Amino acid sequence: MIQFSQTEIGYKQTLLKIDSLDLQEGKVYALVGRNGVGKSTLLQSMAKLLSLISGDIRYEDISLKNLSRNQMARLIAFVESKFDGVEYLSVQDYLMLGRSPYTSLTGKLSDTDKTFVNEISEELQITHLLEKSTTEISDGERQICSVARALIQETPIILMDEPTAFLDFINRQKLLELLIKIAVEKQKCIVLSTHDIDLCLENQLMFIIASRRRVVKENCTKKTELINYFSR
Amino acid sequence: MISKRILIYILIISVLLPIAVVLHLNSGQIALSFSDYFPKDVSNLSTNELLAREFRIPRLIITIIAGSGLAISGMLMQTLFRNPLAGPYVLGINSGASLMVALSLMTGFHLFETEFGLIGAGLIGALLSGLLMMALAFRLKSQISLLLVGLMFGSFTSAIVSLLESLAAAEKLKAYTMWSMGSLQQVEFNQLPVIGVVFLLGLVLTFVLIKPLNLLVIGEKPAEVLGLNVMQTRFLLMAITALFAGLITAFCGPIAFVGLAIPNLTRILFRTQNHAWLIVGNLMIGAIFLLLCDSFIQLMEGRIALPINVLTSLIGAPFVVFLLMRKIR
Repeated sequence: MIQFSQTEIGYKQTLLKIDSLDLQEGKVYALVGRNGVGKSTLLQSMAKLLSLISGDIRYEDISLKNLSRNQMARLIAFVESKFDGVEYLSVQDYLMLGRSPYTSLTGKLSDTDKTFVNEISEELQITHLLEKSTTEISDGERQICSVARALIQETPIILMDEPTAFLDFINRQKLLELLIKIAVEKQKCIVLSTHDIDLCLENQLMFIIASRRRVVKENCTKKTELINYFSR
Repeated sequence: MISKRILIYILIISVLLPIAVVLHLNSGQIALSFSDYFPKDVSNLSTNELLAREFRIPRLIITIIAGSGLAISGMLMQTLFRNPLAGPYVLGINSGASLMVALSLMTGFHLFETEFGLIGAGLIGALLSGLLMMALAFRLKSQISLLLVGLMFGSFTSAIVSLLESLAAAEKLKAYTMWSMGSLQQVEFNQLPVIGVVFLLGLVLTFVLIKPLNLLVIGEKPAEVLGLNVMQTRFLLMAITALFAGLITAFCGPIAFVGLAIPNLTRILFRTQNHAWLIVGNLMIGAIFLLLCDSFIQLMEGRIALPINVLTSLIGAPFVVFLLMRKIR
């Protein structure tokens, strides 16, 4: 689904070099690596918030370079590690922003758009939050709303920057179960960066390991295998 | 989807606006009748008809435009910087306009000698300081530093203005001092079409930007991922703000706190971040606020000559303190 080939990413200097990496739909990938190794940079490069130093990232044989901003918005959704909420911004209005790539200049949602927003809200069981302000709900609820907004964006790829960082133990597990379910049922490719290695191992996620300027995909089942990568 | 709350407030301000207009027209020293505003023969006006045409109507219209325009430009800045304390005045946009106007009034720049030159000076000053603040704003991540820089910029420009004042000839100094107190009486009837066209241009652009504004509420990066051209939007928002602030500052002098207080008041009343409603609210509440202020000034005339900038600061400054307390709480 997404292929990297000889891709170098970073700001001015190369942080990570990805010789070859292929990500599939229907899976949740855990992007792991030590602080400062370039996880966020990698995610931002995939979302084209940063330009590549060299090489290419392709989505089903289309280079991301050739896609317009709006085409990108229909391809990749991005969930920030924490959405703090905005005073007077209702959950419903927040979710409806997810349809922006599909609305006209006025930003008005069609009936189909509205139905879609409602369907996703029901699916993620957040209908009771719709009328509330995004500042009035809990961190866990807000994170679910961010996921809902990404789903409403209706993209085949969802990138998430440390989505579990600010969640408690129970909410982390819940979120991960939800993401796995979404990836399988909707055939999406989800990539999330995290330091929650135990949680990812328990849920048998595929790992993308960033270490020593290299990125590899590995199906680790034991913590020791992973730790080897970091100390190598 | 419109909430009942917004509907009720729009209803209330729709009733208040015509009341404020009538009050404003009737607060002058000389009582005019309704028919004076609609003369039968324009070439042969009676004293009262002339008073209506040359004083009351221009003053009414510029008051509405200044109130609405400042409120809208404040709203645009607050959304762009995601900061309720942003506004054309705090961000130094008014200071930039003041500096350019001071330069054009008190030095020998012939470029700025015509009336349009004054507007031009205001616009250029507003745009330049807007661009400067924008460049700084995205280097300074902390909102407090941005506000401090804005205040410092204001102090710096006012120091230059003071320097110019000390060097200027008496009559030029007087012209600038009068301008700097802020006044809604300087506009003439035949200037209204130009002012109106510039204002409407800004307003149309604002309405076109409803979708980008709504997206910016959640931050620039998330907005970009949803397909927004952030750089273009930033530039357009700064340009519209400079257009409004420059136009109003050039014609009415600096009017503080309207751009800061009214957008906050509107958000508190409407409890929404949907800019379609916020624009409507700011337009009307801004106009009502300045109409009431100016009506008060007209009613006090004879007893005390109150400059508009003084009155808006007297009301606005405590309101901003209230906002800060609310945030810190």
